[in-house]
Amino acid sequence: MRIWALLLGIAATALSVCLRTADGLTMTVHKVECVYEEVEYDGDMVYGNFVVQDYEIFWGSDHPGIELVVTGPQGNKVHSSTSKEAEKFEFRAPRRGLYKFCFHNPALAPEDLTFYIHVGHIPGIQDLAQDENLKPVNVKIAQLAEALEAVSAEIRYMQNRDKRHRSTNESTQRRLIAYTVAESVMLLGASIGQVYLIQQLFSKRIGYNRV
Amino acid sequence: MDPKLSLCAILLPLLCLQTWHRVDGVQFEVSSSTTKCVSEEIQRDVVVVGDYKIAFTSSDNLSVTAKVTSPYGNQLYHQENVQSGQFAFTSKESGNYMACFWLPNAPPNVNVNLALDWKTGVSAKDWASIAKKDKLEGMELELRKLEDAVESVHHELLYLRDREAEMRDLNELTNSRVAWFGIMSLLVCLAVAGWQLWHLKTFFEKKKLL
Repeated sequence: MRIWALLLGIAATALSVCLRTADGLTMTVHKVECVYEEVEYDGDMVYGNFVVQDYEIFWGSDHPGIELVVTGPQGNKVHSSTSKEAEKFEFRAPRRGLYKFCFHNPALAPEDLTFYIHVGHIPGIQDLAQDENLKPVNVKIAQLAEALEAVSAEIRYMQNRDKRHRSTNESTQRRLIAYTVAESVMLLGASIGQVYLIQQLFSKRIGYNRV
Repeated sequence: MDPKLSLCAILLPLLCLQTWHRVDGVQFEVSSSTTKCVSEEIQRDVVVVGDYKIAFTSSDNLSVTAKVTSPYGNQLYHQENVQSGQFAFTSKESGNYMACFWLPNAPPNVNVNLALDWKTGVSAKDWASIAKKDKLEGMELELRKLEDAVESVHHELLYLRDREAEMRDLNELTNSRVAWFGIMSLLVCLAVAGWQLWHLKTFFEKKKLL
Protein backbone atom coordinates (compact mmCIF):
# COMPACT_ATOMS: atom_id res chain seq x y z
CA MET A 1 0.00 0.00 0.00
CA ARG A 2 2.80 2.39 0.96
CA ILE A 3 4.73 1.71 -2.25
CA TRP A 4 1.69 2.71 -4.29
CA ALA A 5 1.31 5.89 -2.29
CA LEU A 6 4.99 6.61 -2.83
CA LEU A 7 4.70 5.96 -6.55
CA LEU A 8 1.64 8.15 -6.77
CA GLY A 9 3.44 10.91 -4.92
CA ILE A 10 6.38 10.74 -7.25
CA ALA A 11 4.07 10.68 -10.24
CA ALA A 12 2.37 13.81 -8.96
CA THR A 13 5.75 15.50 -8.50
CA ALA A 14 6.79 14.42 -11.96
CA LEU A 15 3.57 15.73 -13.44
CA SER A 16 3.70 19.01 -11.62
CA VAL A 17 7.29 19.84 -12.42
CA CYS A 18 7.85 18.07 -15.73
CA LEU A 19 4.75 19.49 -17.31
CA ARG A 20 6.13 22.53 -18.98
CA THR A 21 4.22 23.26 -22.14
CA ALA A 22 5.60 26.24 -23.96
CA ASP A 23 5.04 26.86 -27.63
CA GLY A 24 6.37 29.66 -29.75
CA LEU A 25 5.69 29.45 -33.45
CA THR A 26 5.13 31.63 -36.50
CA MET A 27 2.19 31.13 -38.79
CA THR A 28 0.35 33.05 -41.47
CA VAL A 29 -3.08 34.35 -40.59
CA HIS A 30 -5.41 34.87 -43.54
CA LYS A 31 -8.77 35.61 -41.98
CA VAL A 32 -8.84 33.66 -38.75
CA GLU A 33 -6.50 31.05 -37.39
CA CYS A 34 -7.11 29.11 -34.22
CA VAL A 35 -4.73 27.17 -32.04
CA TYR A 36 -5.63 25.03 -29.08
CA GLU A 37 -3.82 24.45 -25.82
CA GLU A 38 -4.59 21.88 -23.22
CA VAL A 39 -4.81 23.10 -19.63
CA GLU A 40 -4.24 20.28 -17.20
CA TYR A 41 -5.42 21.69 -13.90
CA ASP A 42 -8.05 24.13 -12.73
CA GLY A 43 -6.63 27.50 -11.93
CA ASP A 44 -3.47 27.19 -13.99
CA MET A 45 -1.88 30.39 -15.17
CA VAL A 46 -1.86 30.83 -18.94
CA TYR A 47 0.28 33.56 -20.35
CA GLY A 48 1.70 34.39 -23.69
CA ASN A 49 2.38 37.04 -26.25
CA PHE A 50 2.10 37.58 -29.95
CA VAL A 51 3.83 39.90 -32.40
CA VAL A 52 2.66 40.62 -35.92
CA GLN A 53 5.58 40.49 -38.32
CA ASP A 54 4.70 42.88 -41.10
CA TYR A 55 7.33 42.72 -43.74
CA GLU A 56 5.77 44.90 -46.40
CA ILE A 57 3.89 47.75 -44.82
CA PHE A 58 3.20 50.68 -47.05
CA TRP A 59 0.74 52.63 -45.03
CA GLY A 60 0.42 51.80 -41.35
CA SER A 61 -3.35 52.19 -41.40
CA ASP A 62 -3.70 49.25 -43.79
CA HIS A 63 -2.40 46.91 -41.13
CA PRO A 64 -4.47 47.40 -38.01
CA GLY A 65 -3.09 44.32 -36.28
CA ILE A 66 -4.55 41.08 -35.05
CA GLU A 67 -7.36 40.45 -32.60
CA LEU A 68 -7.10 37.66 -30.09
CA VAL A 69 -10.14 35.89 -28.62
CA VAL A 70 -9.65 33.08 -26.13
CA THR A 71 -12.54 30.70 -25.46
CA GLY A 72 -12.67 28.15 -22.70
CA PRO A 73 -13.63 24.49 -22.96
CA GLN A 74 -17.28 25.29 -22.33
CA GLY A 75 -17.37 27.94 -25.02
CA ASN A 76 -17.16 30.93 -22.68
CA LYS A 77 -14.97 33.84 -23.68
CA VAL A 78 -12.05 34.02 -21.31
CA HIS A 79 -10.00 36.81 -22.81
CA SER A 80 -10.29 39.15 -25.74
CA SER A 81 -8.34 42.09 -27.04
CA THR A 82 -8.70 44.71 -29.74
CA SER A 83 -6.56 44.82 -32.86
CA LYS A 84 -3.00 45.13 -31.76
CA GLU A 85 0.33 44.67 -33.43
CA ALA A 86 2.00 43.14 -30.39
CA GLU A 87 0.52 42.13 -27.10
CA LYS A 88 1.22 40.20 -23.94
CA PHE A 89 -1.70 38.43 -22.36
CA GLU A 90 -2.22 36.56 -19.13
CA PHE A 91 -5.20 34.93 -17.50
CA ARG A 92 -6.00 32.27 -14.96
CA ALA A 93 -7.81 29.33 -16.51
CA PRO A 94 -10.90 28.65 -14.41
CA ARG A 95 -11.41 25.08 -15.62
CA ARG A 96 -9.17 22.46 -17.08
CA GLY A 97 -9.70 21.51 -20.68
CA LEU A 98 -8.96 22.58 -24.20
CA TYR A 99 -8.67 26.31 -24.66
CA LYS A 100 -9.04 27.86 -28.07
CA PHE A 101 -6.92 30.89 -29.04
CA CYS A 102 -8.33 32.53 -32.16
CA PHE A 103 -6.46 35.22 -34.06
CA HIS A 104 -8.64 37.37 -36.29
CA ASN A 105 -7.16 39.37 -39.13
CA PRO A 106 -9.39 42.33 -40.07
CA ALA A 107 -7.19 43.41 -42.97
CA LEU A 108 -7.33 41.99 -46.48
CA ALA A 109 -3.71 40.92 -46.71
CA PRO A 110 -2.44 37.87 -44.82
CA GLU A 111 -0.22 38.61 -41.84
CA ASP A 112 2.63 36.66 -40.35
CA LEU A 113 2.10 36.15 -36.66
CA THR A 114 4.60 34.92 -34.08
CA PHE A 115 2.90 33.78 -30.93
CA TYR A 116 3.95 32.16 -27.69
CA ILE A 117 1.63 30.43 -25.22
CA HIS A 118 2.63 28.91 -21.92
CA VAL A 119 0.55 27.01 -19.40
CA GLY A 120 2.16 26.97 -16.00
CA HIS A 121 1.22 24.88 -13.02
CA ILE A 122 2.50 25.30 -9.51
CA PRO A 123 1.44 22.71 -6.94
CA GLY A 124 -0.82 24.39 -4.45
CA ILE A 125 -1.60 23.98 -0.78
CA GLN A 126 -4.12 21.18 -1.39
CA ASP A 127 -1.53 19.18 -3.27
CA LEU A 128 0.93 19.67 -0.42
CA ALA A 129 -1.63 18.46 2.09
CA GLN A 130 -2.78 15.45 0.07
CA ASP A 131 0.59 14.20 -0.94
CA GLU A 132 3.17 13.36 1.68
CA ASN A 133 6.11 13.35 -0.73
CA LEU A 134 5.54 16.80 -2.06
CA LYS A 135 7.66 19.03 0.10
CA PRO A 136 7.53 22.83 0.11
CA VAL A 137 10.90 22.82 -1.68
CA ASN A 138 9.23 21.20 -4.69
CA VAL A 139 6.76 24.06 -4.73
CA LYS A 140 9.60 26.55 -4.61
CA ILE A 141 11.39 24.79 -7.43
CA ALA A 142 8.21 24.84 -9.48
CA GLN A 143 7.83 28.57 -8.80
CA LEU A 144 11.43 29.14 -9.83
CA ALA A 145 10.91 27.19 -13.03
CA GLU A 146 7.82 29.23 -13.80
CA ALA A 147 9.62 32.50 -13.16
CA LEU A 148 12.40 31.43 -15.49
CA GLU A 149 9.86 30.49 -18.11
CA ALA A 150 8.32 33.95 -17.76
CA VAL A 151 11.75 35.53 -18.32
CA SER A 152 12.21 33.35 -21.38
CA ALA A 153 8.81 34.45 -22.67
CA GLU A 154 9.74 38.11 -22.22
CA ILE A 155 12.95 37.57 -24.14
CA ARG A 156 11.10 35.93 -26.98
CA TYR A 157 8.67 38.82 -27.08
CA MET A 158 11.52 41.30 -27.24
CA GLN A 159 13.26 39.30 -29.95
CA ASN A 160 10.13 39.24 -32.07
CA ARG A 161 9.53 42.95 -31.61
CA ASP A 162 13.16 43.56 -32.48
CA LYS A 163 12.67 41.62 -35.71
CA ARG A 164 9.71 43.78 -36.55
CA HIS A 165 11.53 47.02 -35.77
CA ARG A 166 14.49 45.87 -37.76
CA SER A 167 12.41 45.26 -40.84
CA THR A 168 10.85 48.73 -40.41
CA ASN A 169 14.31 50.29 -40.16
CA GLU A 170 15.64 48.48 -43.18
CA SER A 171 12.57 49.53 -45.10
CA THR A 172 13.16 53.15 -44.02
CA GLN A 173 16.72 52.97 -45.27
CA ARG A 174 15.65 51.54 -48.62
CA ARG A 175 12.85 54.06 -49.00
CA LEU A 176 15.21 56.92 -48.21
CA ILE A 177 17.65 56.00 -50.92
CA ALA A 178 15.02 55.10 -53.50
CA TYR A 179 12.85 58.16 -52.97
CA THR A 180 15.81 60.57 -52.95
CA VAL A 181 17.16 59.19 -56.20
CA ALA A 182 13.70 59.18 -57.77
CA GLU A 183 13.07 62.73 -56.57
CA SER A 184 16.36 64.01 -58.06
CA VAL A 185 15.75 62.26 -61.36
CA MET A 186 12.20 63.59 -61.64
CA LEU A 187 13.31 67.08 -60.68
CA LEU A 188 15.99 67.08 -63.38
CA GLY A 189 13.58 65.63 -65.90
CA ALA A 190 10.84 68.15 -65.08
CA SER A 191 13.17 71.14 -65.27
CA ILE A 192 14.76 70.09 -68.57
CA GLY A 193 11.30 69.44 -69.90
CA GLN A 194 10.17 72.92 -68.81
CA VAL A 195 13.11 74.59 -70.52
CA TYR A 196 12.56 72.81 -73.79
CA LEU A 197 8.84 73.48 -73.72
CA ILE A 198 9.45 77.20 -73.26
CA GLN A 199 12.04 77.15 -76.03
CA GLN A 200 9.52 75.50 -78.31
CA LEU A 201 6.88 78.08 -77.43
CA PHE A 202 9.17 80.88 -78.37
CA SER A 203 10.52 79.29 -81.56
CA LYS A 204 7.23 79.43 -83.41
CA ARG A 205 7.62 83.10 -84.30
CA ILE A 206 3.91 83.81 -84.39
CA GLY A 207 4.28 87.40 -83.67
CA TYR A 208 6.03 89.84 -81.41
CA ASN A 209 2.82 90.74 -79.61
CA ARG A 210 1.61 87.23 -79.03
CA VAL A 211 4.27 86.66 -76.36
CA MET B 1 12.39 1.00 2.30
CA ASP B 2 15.64 1.71 0.45
CA PRO B 3 15.27 -0.67 -2.50
CA LYS B 4 11.74 0.64 -2.99
CA LEU B 5 13.03 4.21 -3.00
CA SER B 6 15.67 3.39 -5.59
CA LEU B 7 13.00 1.66 -7.65
CA CYS B 8 10.95 4.82 -7.51
CA ALA B 9 14.00 6.89 -8.43
CA ILE B 10 14.40 4.79 -11.56
CA LEU B 11 10.71 5.02 -12.37
CA LEU B 12 10.61 8.79 -11.98
CA PRO B 13 12.41 9.64 -15.23
CA LEU B 14 10.32 7.04 -17.04
CA LEU B 15 7.17 8.61 -15.69
CA CYS B 16 8.47 11.96 -16.90
CA LEU B 17 8.84 10.49 -20.38
CA GLN B 18 5.39 8.97 -20.21
CA THR B 19 3.71 12.30 -19.58
CA TRP B 20 5.26 13.74 -22.71
CA HIS B 21 3.42 11.32 -24.91
CA ARG B 22 0.05 12.69 -24.07
CA VAL B 23 -1.42 15.51 -26.09
CA ASP B 24 1.21 18.11 -25.45
CA GLY B 25 2.11 21.17 -27.40
CA VAL B 26 -0.09 23.41 -29.41
CA GLN B 27 -2.89 22.00 -31.52
CA PHE B 28 -4.21 23.45 -34.72
CA GLU B 29 -6.73 22.46 -37.31
CA VAL B 30 -5.75 21.02 -40.63
CA SER B 31 -8.56 20.80 -43.12
CA SER B 32 -8.61 18.75 -46.26
CA SER B 33 -8.31 21.70 -48.62
CA THR B 34 -5.50 23.66 -46.99
CA THR B 35 -1.91 23.22 -45.95
CA LYS B 36 -1.00 24.40 -42.48
CA CYS B 37 2.54 25.62 -42.07
CA VAL B 38 4.26 26.73 -38.91
CA SER B 39 7.76 28.04 -38.72
CA GLU B 40 10.28 29.27 -36.25
CA GLU B 41 13.43 31.30 -36.55
CA ILE B 42 16.22 29.13 -35.20
CA GLN B 43 19.92 29.79 -34.71
CA ARG B 44 22.55 27.38 -35.93
CA ASP B 45 23.63 24.32 -33.96
CA VAL B 46 20.36 24.05 -32.09
CA VAL B 47 18.71 20.69 -31.52
CA VAL B 48 15.09 20.66 -32.64
CA VAL B 49 12.75 17.83 -31.73
CA GLY B 50 9.19 17.69 -33.04
CA ASP B 51 6.41 15.32 -32.11
CA TYR B 52 3.14 15.45 -33.98
CA LYS B 53 0.00 13.37 -33.81
CA ILE B 54 -3.64 13.59 -34.71
CA ALA B 55 -5.31 14.65 -31.50
CA PHE B 56 -8.91 14.75 -32.53
CA THR B 57 -10.65 13.95 -35.73
CA SER B 58 -14.24 13.88 -36.86
CA SER B 59 -13.83 10.71 -38.88
CA ASP B 60 -11.38 7.84 -38.60
CA ASN B 61 -8.84 6.57 -41.10
CA LEU B 62 -7.45 10.00 -41.72
CA SER B 63 -3.74 10.37 -42.18
CA VAL B 64 -1.58 13.41 -42.47
CA THR B 65 1.55 14.20 -44.45
CA ALA B 66 4.31 16.12 -42.75
CA LYS B 67 7.23 17.94 -44.28
CA VAL B 68 9.98 19.91 -42.59
CA THR B 69 12.18 22.25 -44.62
CA SER B 70 15.30 24.21 -43.82
CA PRO B 71 15.65 27.95 -44.61
CA TYR B 72 17.40 27.12 -47.90
CA GLY B 73 14.60 24.81 -48.97
CA ASN B 74 16.27 21.49 -48.19
CA GLN B 75 13.88 18.83 -47.06
CA LEU B 76 14.77 17.63 -43.59
CA TYR B 77 11.86 15.27 -42.98
CA HIS B 78 9.05 13.95 -45.12
CA GLN B 79 6.51 11.38 -44.07
CA GLU B 80 3.30 10.54 -45.87
CA ASN B 81 0.04 9.11 -44.63
CA VAL B 82 0.79 8.75 -40.94
CA GLN B 83 -1.25 9.28 -37.80
CA SER B 84 1.70 10.43 -35.73
CA GLY B 85 5.41 10.82 -36.05
CA GLN B 86 8.54 12.33 -34.68
CA PHE B 87 11.39 14.23 -36.23
CA ALA B 88 14.65 15.56 -34.88
CA PHE B 89 17.44 17.53 -36.45
CA THR B 90 20.26 19.90 -35.60
CA SER B 91 20.07 23.20 -37.40
CA LYS B 92 23.06 23.78 -39.68
CA GLU B 93 22.25 27.35 -40.57
CA SER B 94 20.25 30.03 -38.83
CA GLY B 95 16.97 30.94 -40.41
CA ASN B 96 13.33 30.05 -40.74
CA TYR B 97 12.60 26.36 -40.31
CA MET B 98 9.13 25.41 -41.50
CA ALA B 99 6.95 22.38 -40.82
CA CYS B 100 3.98 21.87 -43.13
CA PHE B 101 1.07 19.51 -42.73
CA TRP B 102 -1.72 18.58 -45.08
CA LEU B 103 -4.27 15.84 -45.57
CA PRO B 104 -3.77 13.86 -48.73
CA ASN B 105 -6.58 11.72 -50.13
CA ALA B 106 -9.13 13.09 -47.73
CA PRO B 107 -12.79 13.78 -48.53
CA PRO B 108 -13.66 17.47 -48.64
CA ASN B 109 -14.75 19.41 -45.55
CA VAL B 110 -12.98 17.24 -43.06
CA ASN B 111 -11.06 18.72 -40.14
CA VAL B 112 -8.32 17.24 -38.09
CA ASN B 113 -6.81 18.62 -34.89
CA LEU B 114 -3.11 18.12 -35.14
CA ALA B 115 -1.01 18.36 -31.99
CA LEU B 116 2.54 19.53 -32.60
CA ASP B 117 5.09 19.52 -29.83
CA TRP B 118 7.98 21.55 -31.14
CA LYS B 119 10.91 21.75 -28.79
CA THR B 120 14.17 23.53 -29.38
CA GLY B 121 17.33 23.90 -27.39
CA VAL B 122 17.06 23.17 -23.69
CA SER B 123 13.63 21.55 -23.76
CA ALA B 124 14.73 19.26 -26.60
CA LYS B 125 17.39 17.61 -24.50
CA ASP B 126 16.87 13.98 -23.61
CA TRP B 127 16.64 14.42 -19.86
CA ALA B 128 15.86 10.77 -19.22
CA SER B 129 19.22 9.62 -20.55
CA ILE B 130 21.10 12.48 -18.89
CA ALA B 131 19.45 11.57 -15.59
CA LYS B 132 20.48 7.95 -16.01
CA LYS B 133 24.02 8.81 -17.05
CA ASP B 134 24.73 11.29 -14.27
CA LYS B 135 22.56 9.45 -11.76
CA LEU B 136 20.42 12.48 -11.01
CA GLU B 137 17.11 12.09 -9.34
CA GLY B 138 14.10 14.22 -8.63
CA MET B 139 15.19 17.59 -7.31
CA GLU B 140 18.71 17.43 -8.70
CA LEU B 141 17.34 16.78 -12.16
CA GLU B 142 14.99 19.74 -11.89
CA LEU B 143 17.80 21.99 -10.72
CA ARG B 144 20.00 20.85 -13.59
CA LYS B 145 17.15 21.69 -15.99
CA LEU B 146 16.88 25.13 -14.40
CA GLU B 147 20.61 25.64 -14.77
CA ASP B 148 20.42 24.88 -18.47
CA ALA B 149 17.42 27.14 -18.85
CA VAL B 150 19.33 30.02 -17.23
CA GLU B 151 22.23 29.40 -19.58
CA SER B 152 19.98 29.57 -22.62
CA VAL B 153 18.32 32.74 -21.30
CA HIS B 154 21.77 34.28 -20.99
CA HIS B 155 22.63 33.34 -24.59
CA GLU B 156 19.39 34.76 -25.87
CA LEU B 157 19.97 38.02 -24.06
CA LEU B 158 23.45 38.35 -25.54
CA TYR B 159 22.03 37.72 -28.99
CA LEU B 160 19.37 40.33 -28.40
CA ARG B 161 21.99 42.82 -27.31
CA ASP B 162 23.98 42.26 -30.50
CA ARG B 163 20.91 42.69 -32.66
CA GLU B 164 20.06 45.88 -30.84
CA ALA B 165 23.56 47.23 -31.45
CA GLU B 166 23.22 46.50 -35.17
CA MET B 167 19.87 48.21 -35.27
CA ARG B 168 21.23 51.26 -33.49
CA ASP B 169 24.01 51.53 -36.07
CA LEU B 170 21.48 51.28 -38.87
CA ASN B 171 19.35 53.98 -37.30
CA GLU B 172 22.25 56.35 -36.91
CA LEU B 173 23.25 55.73 -40.52
CA THR B 174 19.71 56.47 -41.67
CA ASN B 175 19.67 59.62 -39.59
CA SER B 176 22.87 60.98 -41.10
CA ARG B 177 21.75 59.97 -44.57
CA VAL B 178 18.50 61.87 -44.16
CA ALA B 179 20.48 65.02 -43.44
CA TRP B 180 22.89 64.52 -46.35
CA PHE B 181 20.25 63.61 -48.88
CA GLY B 182 18.12 66.56 -47.81
CA ILE B 183 20.98 68.98 -48.36
CA MET B 184 21.84 67.25 -51.64
CA SER B 185 18.25 67.52 -52.86
CA LEU B 186 18.22 71.19 -51.99
CA LEU B 187 21.50 71.77 -53.85
CA VAL B 188 20.24 69.86 -56.88
CA CYS B 189 17.07 71.96 -56.84
CA LEU B 190 19.01 75.23 -56.62
CA ALA B 191 21.48 74.14 -59.31
CA VAL B 192 18.72 73.17 -61.67
CA ALA B 193 16.88 76.45 -61.06
CA GLY B 194 20.10 78.36 -61.75
CA TRP B 195 20.70 76.42 -64.95
CA GLN B 196 17.14 77.08 -66.11
CA LEU B 197 17.50 80.81 -65.61
CA TRP B 198 20.85 80.95 -67.37
CA HIS B 199 19.72 78.86 -70.31
CA LEU B 200 16.52 80.80 -70.86
CA LYS B 201 18.38 84.11 -70.55
CA THR B 202 20.86 83.12 -73.27
CA PHE B 203 18.03 81.75 -75.37
CA PHE B 204 16.01 84.95 -75.21
CA GLU B 205 19.11 87.05 -75.84
CA LYS B 206 19.77 84.97 -78.94
CA LYS B 207 16.19 85.50 -80.06
CA LYS B 208 16.67 89.23 -79.45
CA LEU B 209 13.63 89.32 -77.19
CA LEU B 210 15.57 90.50 -74.15
